[in-house]
Amino acid sequence: MFNVLAIMILGQTEPNQPVYADNASILHHMSDALHQSLYRVLSLLIAVLPGLLAFFVALAVFTLVGMAISAALRHGLTWVKFDERLTHYRGSGVDWTPTNSPTAIVARVSFWGCVLLGLVIGVSAFDASYATAASLPISLLPYLTHAVGAILLLIAGTLIARFLARSVLIGAVNAQLQYARFLSLGVKWLVLVLTAAMVLDHLEIGGVVVELAFGILFGGIVLTLSLAIGLGSRDLVSRSLESHVERSERAPEIRPPGTSAAGEALRHF
Amino acid sequence: MATTNPMIDASSAALRPSSSLLVLLPSAQQAQIESIVAALAASFPNDGLLIATPEGTSADSNANIQFVELPGGKPSWTLTAVEFASAHQVAQKYSTRAILVLGPEAASLSTTGLTSLAHAAMNDSTDLAVPCYDLPARAGLVNSSILYPLSRALFANRARFPLAVDLGLSVRMAERLGVAAQRFVALHQSDVPLWVVNEAMVAGMRVEEVDAGPRALPQPADPDLNTVLPFVTGSLFSDIEAKAAFWQRARVSPPVHRGSAPGAMAADAAGEVASMLEGFRLAYNNLREIWGLVLPPNTMLGLKRLSLIDGAAFRMPETLWARIVFDFLIAYRTRTMNRGHLLGALIPLYLAWVASHVNAIAAGEDPERHIELHAAAFETEKPYLVARWRWPDRFNP
Repeated sequence: MFNVLAIMILGQTEPNQPVYADNASILHHMSDALHQSLYRVLSLLIAVLPGLLAFFVALAVFTLVGMAISAALRHGLTWVKFDERLTHYRGSGVDWTPTNSPTAIVARVSFWGCVLLGLVIGVSAFDASYATAASLPISLLPYLTHAVGAILLLIAGTLIARFLARSVLIGAVNAQLQYARFLSLGVKWLVLVLTAAMVLDHLEIGGVVVELAFGILFGGIVLTLSLAIGLGSRDLVSRSLESHVERSERAPEIRPPGTSAAGEALRHF
Repeated sequence: MATTNPMIDASSAALRPSSSLLVLLPSAQQAQIESIVAALAASFPNDGLLIATPEGTSADSNANIQFVELPGGKPSWTLTAVEFASAHQVAQKYSTRAILVLGPEAASLSTTGLTSLAHAAMNDSTDLAVPCYDLPARAGLVNSSILYPLSRALFANRARFPLAVDLGLSVRMAERLGVAAQRFVALHQSDVPLWVVNEAMVAGMRVEEVDAGPRALPQPADPDLNTVLPFVTGSLFSDIEAKAAFWQRARVSPPVHRGSAPGAMAADAAGEVASMLEGFRLAYNNLREIWGLVLPPNTMLGLKRLSLIDGAAFRMPETLWARIVFDFLIAYRTRTMNRGHLLGALIPLYLAWVASHVNAIAAGEDPERHIELHAAAFETEKPYLVARWRWPDRFNP
């Protein structure tokens, strides 16, 4: 600023001085400002670079370790016939049955566990270097961990919603309820809305607005389902319940052997 | 009616100790136990009988008859692992020659049927004697639609009741079943049924089917089909999965000639069929997406056509039903979805089969012939199952 003023004063004392001298000075100062800005950003990047490098190295190393552990577990468990043993152990009375074999699940969990560990260590290293070198008060780690938690919540919520929706659909169809699909959708959206609210709350987004909106939506869905079942399908529900009671009363009947099939109730066993 | 496993060697009937017949009886009224014991004593006057009951004692004064207490478990509607484990233990302890296991309501068996089964058990050339009951046309439908055709097609044995509640066992068969049962008992799963015919065929035992006449089959304590059908079919599917190495090899089961059951009146069928078809159509509209994960497009097309047929004209084609059951078995194995959901989604299809069966017998068709046609379709379609079992992805839509 002082330089500019000096040039202006000099310009007044020496009227023959060319006009472009002022422009050069402004460019010079702009250049200085840009250089300083660039210097600051580069310094920041140089300070962060080791942390960034540490993040990628940690992630790569733990991914490799995870692959090694996963492969070792897969071979080991196959060798000891883990799947067969577990099948014998569980028998046929267990309802929870995953899509993949137990060996594959153990191997996959160990791999992704290692990857997650590498991610956490990498983020921690990055956060430490970033916070100390950049002298910025904002730390990335808490928000990242919240984001990971939110993603896990979202996945779990979606899976639970799908599972419950399917359970309700099949159960309602087998009970011959006409509104089976509607019930299933209602349950699915109840769980999804609950999940969305939990995720937003976990990410600290929205605050009271989310809680309020969730309360209104959840209550709305429950009220809709109650009204639909209580009023709209009252007759259907009573008919379903009546037929269920009749079936329950009929089924245990044991007829004497050799009787005629005419007028005989169906017996599944 | 003996059925021999094609894999068996000539020395299958092993030498047995000369001791008595062990008879395992469930908890029953004293008069019923006495009538069964009297019938057996009259049939085997020269052999000692060892009667094992939960009560353990009786007022019978016959020197040839001895009573022992059977380690009791929770009474069940079918023979479970705990009963086979007990049978093996008692047979081992008293060195019996053969074992006769009788299920609940055994008193309803005719004397001829009872003694035929006991004689088959005492026969040295037989390892497993399975009764063939004379049931009403509309009874034992799960057995007729799923259990019998699957067991016959995969294990090459035409035992009409693979989940029979009365059995005759040789000592070595009891030993094998005892070992299999012990695994479940140790894991506190005593209520799991054992698939004795499958076990016998895998072990290379000789199986004989005996005409047992009419019998009142015990019904499950929980009459809800939504609970019992998944339990029974899930147990059979698990057993088939465990024995895949055996049944994938081609086998042909020998033909068997059986009598026919009386048909039902057409007037009785209409109401039930309408209700079952309504349920099937409701399921078709709602479960199409879930079925689509399990069944290939051809089968889905067949179901679509079926959903448009109404009333007495409704018939489930044999091939379609065989493929549906095979596809569900494949999905059970590949865990396409949660197994509880999968077996729940099978129920409306089973009810559609029942509607078709009821229609067939109401139209005057011989029920046994109808069941045999379906069982034969299972045998014909077995290559489809084997192909999908080996390469499940090849047929995926």
